[in-house]
Amino acid sequence: MAARWTSAIAFLLGWQLVTLVSTRVPSPVRVLEFLWLEVSGGSHGGVVRGEFIEHFLGTLGRYTIGLVIGFTAGLLIGVLIGSSSLARALASDTILVLLALPAIVWAFLTTMWFGIDVKAPIVTVALSAFPFVVVNVAQGVRSITPDLRRMTAAFGVERWKQFRYLTLGAISGYVFAGLRFAVIIGWNGVLLWEWFAGQNGVGFRTRYWYDANRYQGFVGWVVAFIVFIVLLDRFVFARLERRAFRWRDRATDVEIIEETTMGL
Amino acid sequence: MATLEVKDLIKIFPGPSAGAPPVRALNGISFDVSGNVFVSIVGPSGCGKSTLLNIISGVDSATAGEIRLTEDGKRARLGYVFQDPRLLPWRTVMDNMLYVRDDDSETEAARYLDMVGLGHTVEMFPGQLSGGMQQRVGIARAFSVEPDLLLMDEPFSHLDAITARSLRDHLQEIWARTRKTVVFVTHDVMEAVQLSDRIIVLAAGGVIFEDIPIELPHPRRSSDPAVATLQAEILGRFEVMEAEMAKRRSG
Repeated sequence: MAARWTSAIAFLLGWQLVTLVSTRVPSPVRVLEFLWLEVSGGSHGGVVRGEFIEHFLGTLGRYTIGLVIGFTAGLLIGVLIGSSSLARALASDTILVLLALPAIVWAFLTTMWFGIDVKAPIVTVALSAFPFVVVNVAQGVRSITPDLRRMTAAFGVERWKQFRYLTLGAISGYVFAGLRFAVIIGWNGVLLWEWFAGQNGVGFRTRYWYDANRYQGFVGWVVAFIVFIVLLDRFVFARLERRAFRWRDRATDVEIIEETTMGL
Repeated sequence: MATLEVKDLIKIFPGPSAGAPPVRALNGISFDVSGNVFVSIVGPSGCGKSTLLNIISGVDSATAGEIRLTEDGKRARLGYVFQDPRLLPWRTVMDNMLYVRDDDSETEAARYLDMVGLGHTVEMFPGQLSGGMQQRVGIARAFSVEPDLLLMDEPFSHLDAITARSLRDHLQEIWARTRKTVVFVTHDVMEAVQLSDRIIVLAAGGVIFEDIPIELPHPRRSSDPAVATLQAEILGRFEVMEAEMAKRRSG
């Protein structure tokens, strides 16, 4: 924890020092002042007022829908590819191509397909996130040991139960790794689309301040979406991950109960 | 009543490397198991004991031959205890029990955990239990499916001698209560003599060398003089078997 705070303070000090030698880098204080006006709906001068909530919620809605679609499709296809060598042979090259495509390509393509429509950023996020989930989930399914598979076959466990108990448990670590990639790549995708085609949203507003040559506005929005991703990771994914891996923590934290206490 | 019929069973594995000759793990094995008996299959490492169990359970398939497993004319239900416990590490002990059961009855599953003295571990994860306790969960899991035939593949071979001895005693108590048909694979002659009604001796090359009935009263202790005498006698037959095999190889 101390190291984390030290690193954050060092970063802020470094930033402040850079502002002393360049007028094109706004100071942390100016950025905070800007963000306060943007969040509170205060005036930036003239008729321009802060519109943080409106833009942020607009982006969040598109992003969440796209991420849910990309993640669900990635999970299902990942399980299929991990379970079947035929599906793996058919899909592995396609997935490699999808992985290699940057989010900006999807942003352009979806605009060509759907025009300036809400479908475009949603599909951009889904397509950007999808291959990262597929690759990780497929790897997770393949990590199930032959011993557990043979045990499952020997007891004739039904398929739905296998999926719930065996597959989901085995892939949980891989799902979190894939989800973290998907979250970052999907966020990039939606911001890029909004930057050049959006009528509102975080990307649109960032570009607005960039075009207005207001550095503190541009940097303020960059800081806002970095903070969002960090908070999402710390308070949502880290907690979910701790819960999913409590079996591992307990196994390492708690001393193994001795046979002698068992009355044998 | 469970009936297992194994007839002319052959299993050939491909050679371990390209160009290597195929490996004949089982070479025309035939035997029957009928009724609520405890049958051990004993033999040296690599004689095809585990392969035989895998084929009986349907996990592996035979190259040739036939296996018929019935319970009063219907298809029999199987339970399996492996060399290692093979529990899902990310699921609790109770979930591991429910995983193999057709219903989700926690009460029934807990009854079998109580039977092996682990009723208090239902909320624990396998990693919190010692190796011996995990193996007992494995035994409870196999019994909990109420199998017509229980297959056990060297279930105590990975445990220390003291734990293995106490689990053998425990298994005898459970078996006396449930009277399931058991096929038990081991390389330990003493273990086979202590537990079984019948011992099938497999020789290297996957053939049956001898089928020995054991007519000692249950429960048996490893320290019983009758068990020790019979163990010595069977080990003597092993020496004869090895000499015969060596003669065949050189001939």
